[in-house]
Amino acid sequence: MNGLTAGFAAGPVLFEIDMEIAPGELIALVGANGAGKSTLLGTLSGLVRARAGSIAFSGRDITNARPEAIVKAGIAHVPQGRRLFDTMSVEKNLRLGAYARRDGDIDAEVRSVLEYFPALKDKLNREARTLSGGEQQMVAIGRGLMARPKLLMVDEMSLGLAPKIVDRLIDVVKDIHAAGTALLLVEQDVLVALDVAQRAYVLENGRMVLAGAAADLRDDPNIRKAYLGL
Amino acid sequence: MAAFAQLVIIGLLAGGIYAAVGVGFGLVWGVLNIVNLAHGALVIIGAYLTWQMFAVWGVDPFLTLPIDAIALFVLGYAVQRGVINRIIRAPLLFTFLLTFGLNLIAVNVLLLIFKSDFRSVTTAYSGAGLELGGLVIPYIRLAALGIALVMAAVLAILLSRTRVGLAIQAVGSDRDAAQLVGIDLRHAYAVTFGLGAAVAGVAGGMIAMIQAITPTAGEPYTLQAFVVVILGGLGRVSATVVGGLVFGLVEAFGQSIPGSGSVFANAIAFGVMVLILVTRPQGLMGRLR
Repeated sequence: MNGLTAGFAAGPVLFEIDMEIAPGELIALVGANGAGKSTLLGTLSGLVRARAGSIAFSGRDITNARPEAIVKAGIAHVPQGRRLFDTMSVEKNLRLGAYARRDGDIDAEVRSVLEYFPALKDKLNREARTLSGGEQQMVAIGRGLMARPKLLMVDEMSLGLAPKIVDRLIDVVKDIHAAGTALLLVEQDVLVALDVAQRAYVLENGRMVLAGAAADLRDDPNIRKAYLGL
Repeated sequence: MAAFAQLVIIGLLAGGIYAAVGVGFGLVWGVLNIVNLAHGALVIIGAYLTWQMFAVWGVDPFLTLPIDAIALFVLGYAVQRGVINRIIRAPLLFTFLLTFGLNLIAVNVLLLIFKSDFRSVTTAYSGAGLELGGLVIPYIRLAALGIALVMAAVLAILLSRTRVGLAIQAVGSDRDAAQLVGIDLRHAYAVTFGLGAAVAGVAGGMIAMIQAITPTAGEPYTLQAFVVVILGGLGRVSATVVGGLVFGLVEAFGQSIPGSGSVFANAIAFGVMVLILVTRPQGLMGRLR
């Protein structure tokens, strides 16, 4: 991402963002409420228009490409608030995650998602809205995985969930990362994100104010105080 | 008792047509969030297609129904893709204005082509019917009810079992999330509108066999579709079918009240709609979202 400026009709939310994610990397994006984290993900997945700058992925320019083209290129976005298809079954939610894929074995993909989330195995026929918050988050991440992304972006995974469930989800995030998928975690819960990530970016009022190794950010008392609110 | 049974039969037969008209309207409303004021025009375009093929080319009207469906699907897809998609995210008022305008255009084009004369499709079997204890049930109306039910069932299966149907449902449920799984919103919208138009076209073809048509005959059907969808509940084909049948029954019984007439029956039908809105806003079979 180079010099990216993006926003809505009311005005830009992001200003001259520079960011880079290497294949297979696990990156955290942190920042206060309203800093522009979700807008940044929306711009990457094609829901929000970039006004200036460019986004390249796997050597291709995907700036302002259609969302379906971006999914096909290999970026999956698990949106904040999970945004499941409420009245549809868990299985249909998962299968829709593979909508962009014309290749491959969707059944096998469902099975591999269930290996990450065994708790969903006996809930495949339940309506998505009847699941608990943690289970819904599992379905949301599973739906993202069904696209077989090279980069999986997860927005506010831990929001509103019990710490025990967050721990389990973090374990899965590590597994997904170990399997070779790059991840971009957007979190308000800074410690959760910095614990698991390799590198981190800090967004403030729509500008990237800080970037570095996650452990360095976490352990520097000045940074903790100035940017992370810890 | 015989009179009661008679009213039930009359109500259900009329209700089948209402269901057929309502299903497409409800699909478009539920998925695209558009109250399509040109829906009645689509119905009447289907009716004129059937009339044209029957009266001019001598095709049996039942054989024209699949052609109505295909022609209206293409028309609906093109209108959504080319016109309505441009304002799909605009406030409701804009889609009202646009579909109101589309309705005017369609009606006037029909007036230009077919003039305002009454047209009807009268076949050799138009008068034939099933005699049942003193009551004659016209075969055409019976067939129309059957076709309406089959068509609704096919649509429901298409929506719940096929790839494109699941995409349509996903778009109706959460359009951002649908885009994030790779659904092309413009295409999904256009297919949805095309399906709604196709069902409307078949309904129109059946209406042409039952009543005389004019280019402006579609307008009451827009209103009735609105009532039917509210009665049944938005979001499910089966609910709209129930809404249509109930609307037909209410109308039939309304008309039977001594001193009432077709005008009063309409008042009763809309009264029932208001009653439903007050007591059960999600509709008879709807789910609260």
